[in-house]
Order: sequence, then C-alpha cells, then structure tokens
Amino acid sequence: MAAILQILILGLALGGVIALMGSGLSLVFGVMRIVNLAHPSLIIAGAYITYWAFKASGVDPILMLPVSAAIMAAIGVLLYRLMFERETNSVKYSEMTVLLTFALAMMVEGVLGGLFTNTQRVTSPDYATEAFFIGDVFIPKGQLYAGLVSLTIITALTLFLKYSRLGYAIRATTQNREAAELLGVNVNFISILAFAIGLGLAGAAGSLVSFVFSFFPAKHWEWVAMLMSVVVLGGMGSILGTVVAALLLSVVAAFVGTWIGATWSTMTFFLALFLILLIRPQGLFGEKPEMA
Amino acid sequence: MRLARFLAATTALALAATAVQAQTLKIGASLPITGGLSVSGEKHKRGYELCTKLINQAGGILGRQVELIVSDNRSDPATAINQYERFINVDKVDAVYGTFSSRLTFPVGAILSKYNMVHAVPSGGALRIYEQGYKNLFYFQVSAAEYTGKDVVAVIKDLVAAGEGPKTAAIVSADDFFANAIAAGLLGEKVKDPATDKQIADLAPGYLADAGIEVVMREKWPEEGFNDWLNLANSIKRSGAEMIIGLTASAEEAVQLTRSLKTVGATPKLVYLSQGAQAEFIEGVGRNAADGVMIHTTWHKDVPFESTLAGKPFNNADFVKAFEIEYGVEPDEDSAIPFAVCQGIEQAITGAGATDNAKMGEWLHARTRDEPVRTVLGRFAWDERGLAKDKSHIMTQWHDGELKFVYPTGEFEGVVPFSYPKAGF
Repeated sequence: MAAILQILILGLALGGVIALMGSGLSLVFGVMRIVNLAHPSLIIAGAYITYWAFKASGVDPILMLPVSAAIMAAIGVLLYRLMFERETNSVKYSEMTVLLTFALAMMVEGVLGGLFTNTQRVTSPDYATEAFFIGDVFIPKGQLYAGLVSLTIITALTLFLKYSRLGYAIRATTQNREAAELLGVNVNFISILAFAIGLGLAGAAGSLVSFVFSFFPAKHWEWVAMLMSVVVLGGMGSILGTVVAALLLSVVAAFVGTWIGATWSTMTFFLALFLILLIRPQGLFGEKPEMA
Repeated sequence: MRLARFLAATTALALAATAVQAQTLKIGASLPITGGLSVSGEKHKRGYELCTKLINQAGGILGRQVELIVSDNRSDPATAINQYERFINVDKVDAVYGTFSSRLTFPVGAILSKYNMVHAVPSGGALRIYEQGYKNLFYFQVSAAEYTGKDVVAVIKDLVAAGEGPKTAAIVSADDFFANAIAAGLLGEKVKDPATDKQIADLAPGYLADAGIEVVMREKWPEEGFNDWLNLANSIKRSGAEMIIGLTASAEEAVQLTRSLKTVGATPKLVYLSQGAQAEFIEGVGRNAADGVMIHTTWHKDVPFESTLAGKPFNNADFVKAFEIEYGVEPDEDSAIPFAVCQGIEQAITGAGATDNAKMGEWLHARTRDEPVRTVLGRFAWDERGLAKDKSHIMTQWHDGELKFVYPTGEFEGVVPFSYPKAGF
C-alpha cells in the first residue's frame, strides 16, 4: 500500500510542475489560436534567468519566479508585436503560427546557446534534493514546493480569468473573437495581454523547472511533445483541462514506469494523445468545434 | 585600357587566392552543436578548434595551414551523413575528424569507409561499429564500451577487502547505443549486428557474475524525454541493491539520477556511473552527493600523459593550460578526446608525408606500443578492427569536490586511496 501511495505522490508532484509548463501554452492557444511551439524554449529561457541569479548571488529560485515571469512577459509583448500582430487577420493564422513559433524556438535555442553555452545547468537550493519522510513514504521537497507554487499560480490565474474585467475580456475573446470585438473588447490589446501572461507563465515555470530538471538550450525539443499531449488531452485552451491532464498523465506514467518499465513511461503521454484524438478530439474539457 | 587593367588585376588576385587556398589543408568535422547531444558536441568543437589553432601557430601540417570546417548536424544521423558527404565531394577536404556519440558514428562509419577516408573516432564505443569490416577506423578511447565492465570489476576485486564488496547490483541505463553496450558486458549478453542479426560476441557470463555480484534490478529509460527520475530512484532504493550502476548517455542524465538518489535517501555501498566526470556534474549534484561516486574515464587532467603536437613535446599539462587560456575554464574529457583525435590526424599526415588517406591509414595501422600515436590521452596503437590495444580506463572517484583517480594503481603518480563504502548522498 505504501508503495502505491509513494508512486501516487511522485506522480502528482511531477504533474504539478508539468501543469504550469502547459498552462501558458494552453492560454495562448485559447485566446489567440497560436500553437506556440516555442513555449518550452521560453520556459528554458526563464530557467536560465533563474539559474543566473542563483549562481551570481544565491537568490532562491522560487523568489526569482516573479522576476523571471515579469521579464518573460515583457519579452512576450515585444514578440507578439513583432511576429504575430500583423498576421492576426490571415485566414491561415493558426497554421502560420506553427511555422513562426517553430522558427522562434530555434532562434531562442540559438540565442541561449550563444549566451549561456550548451552546458547543462540546474539550480541547487537545499530543498531540491531533500524530502519529508513520513513512515515508509517520502515527499520530495523540491517537487512539492514546485507543485504547490504551480497550483497557486494556476488558481490565481483561474480566479483572474473568472472574476476580473480583463478576465471576462480574455474569456470572451477565447470563445468568439469577432463577437468580443463587436461588443467593444479591444481584442488586439487582449491578445497582447494574453500572450504576455502566457510567456509570464513560461518564465514562472522556468524558475520552478530550474531546480526540478536539469536543462540546456536544446532541451525544449524533449518537452514540446509532452506538453502538447497534456494540452490536447485537457482540451486546447482549457487551463483546468491542462491541470487535470498533467496530473492524470503524470500519475499514470509513474505507475507505468514502476510496474511495466521506465522505457514505457514517456510513451504514456503519446498514447494518451493518440487515443484522445481518436475518441474525443476536443479533449477532456474542450468544446466540440462547430461544423461549417 | 582601364578595363583591361582592372580585369588583369582581378585575375591576378583570383589566381593568388586560389594558390593560397590550394596550400590550405582542409579538415571537416560534423558535430552535434545543437539538439540533444549538444552539451558534448560543443565541447568536442572546442577540442578540435584549440588543437587546430595550436598546430597553425606552430606552422601547420607539412608547412600548410589547417582550415577546420565544422558543421552542426543538429544531433541528427541523416544530417551528419550528408555533411560528411559534402565535406568530401564539395569542400574537397583532405581529412576528417569523427563526430560525437555511437548513434552518429555508426552511420557515418559506412560513408567514410565508402570514400576510403581515415575515420578517427572520438566517441563511438559500441562494439558493432568495429565489426563492420571498415579498414580505416581508429577509436581514440580505451576500448569498446562492452569491455568497460572489466575495469569496474577490477577496482572492486583489487581495492575492496575480500568479503566486503557489494553482493547485489541494480543496473539502470539509457536505452542508447553506448549505455546498452556497457550493460551487455556487465550482464554477459550476446552482442548482435542489428542489420544481419549475426552474433558479434558472446560476453557470458558477464563481468558482474564473474565477480559474484547478483543483479537484483535491471531497468532502462528511453533515450529522450524521460523525466520521472524520482520514481526510478525510488525503485532502485526499494531493490536494496548494494551497488548502483547508472549507465547514462550524458552528464545531464548522471546529474538527474544522482540528485534523485539523494532525494529518496538511497544508501548503496558503491555507485558507478558511466558519465559524471564533468564540472557540471559536481555543480549539479553537490559535494556530498558526488562523494565516492566512481566514473570511468579515458582522460584526467592530472595524469602525466606525454604527447606531441606539431612535432614538438606537448604534454597533458600543456593541454590543460592552453585550454584554460583559450576558454577560461578547465577542460574535461569531452574536449580532451577530440584534441587527441586532432593530434592523431596530424601525426598520421606527417607520418605518411601526404594527405593520402590510404597512406595515413597504413601509417596508423603500423603503430605499435613502442611507436605509437602520442596524444593527451596517452599512447595509441590499434588492432585490425580499430580498437586501441593495451589500454585500460582511468577509474576516477569524487573526493570532497575533486575528481581523483583511484585505479590503476602504480601506473601514474597521484593515485589516491579508493573510498569505500559510500557514506550516503
């Protein structure tokens, strides 16, 4: 029983971090129809900001989170205005963003490689490799803190989207961009805001990732498929769906890894993606697209 | 008249440029500068570039300056193959340096063999690479990865008191060419050529069985995208193994595994990792976790290897110093090994007296223990397959934040006592 409980704890702890990594991706798609393949590379950029502060002056990665989020949000405003704003009326906007963000991912990787070299990094606050031992089970402090911070941020984001005026506008734009504009929502401003929040979430996730996983500029290629699986399973655009999918898949992967073999744990994500696209393409919490 | 003068001057300049270019000796290297293997790929680039720079400062090879062409293969085998084809057919290089990793070296080997190029391999230890019948293959490390376990077990047999050695082991590894090859030797598996299914070697009973160590856990993780390190570490801990063998494909995986073992509170007597000699390892895991971790290497900064560069003595200490001046950091074996490859090619061209790859290959094959290629990794002479003869790994161990060498004893100065058992993480 303790063994099962242990696997469950480890799965949930990992899922909490992956939820934050995926939520920015989901938000950006939901509001702006941008499939942001560069999102994982921007998470790594956030991780480097955090690593740099930790290395230079020992700033705790969790304390660096707001700074990293703010820097990445500012970069988000610039990137949106430079790369996406002029294309918003294009008929093939979503398809174009796939290519644009793919190119952006490669550029970010190149810039990070130039600035920080390709050497792998990880921040090492004491709690990153400590655990609470309770009887026969343990709770890893690093993943616990990362998971809790991650869920706190997502809860705050959900409350913001649900109860603030800007949140109403973002949700209205997510549901129907044209109708929102007709009702007086400045959809361009909302798109910039949502993209900035999405990248802010990438920066925040980067701070947490910096002590949970080691990273280097090219690491994002390993994460993009995993995050897409989580976002598609949850329903593209649904933050709640992303959180549920991340927790669910991480727990299942942990059981698969222990009982069947570690080789198969990664496959869990892709198998879930395959099945959900066959059975329920809109994902667990997504809305079925209207037929033309 | 003016036009005629202009044309004449332009032609003269073009001819002069062509003449200079013809004198340049071109060497190509395709490396994974980006992508999953980029951590080691970039370090390999530094090793090649520094060596080339020092050779040029000393007057070049056969009086010709060396032009190094490095292309990024993005850790992709197909791109690596294309780039070596381009080096040979378009850039018309005189020689090539090998790429990084068994995964890329295996397919590249066929191409370089097709063009009869000397293939100096910095990293590509899987035995199957050397059983393809390629004539001019030369591995610049100790031996095929399958035989690494011999030196691991030798440390236990020779340095741990009888009856106190580990009796059980957990082997966890990346599902990768290199890691699988080391595991095959430890476990005594049969090695087969995947293309023909022909048996290459039967490694039974395996180095662990030979040392009386029972394997109580065997697990692999996928080559890319694995994140569930804590769960894996927890399974290792629950196996109760006294020895943990982590066959990682990169230093990054070694960091993840070691940090996770620390987090779950594992208490093995001995930890052996296939990677982890790099500076990033100690930075990532910290002194306490690293203390006592054993790693096999081909190179260590303090080993007094004597070598030559551009015909003059150039020892391991000279390499370390030159690297620190050039890059501001201490080198590790991921830069030392390609440096040695560059030394080997330079000595082969000088020895053959030409850039004829057939002659270079003959000269390299003719090396012996007394007339070897001399590099910062020590002396090299090869068997007919291209594997180094009479070399064993340097077994290192982290001691209080410093990577020390503990085995073989009596061969070099500076060997320190082996620390056993490991005092937790």
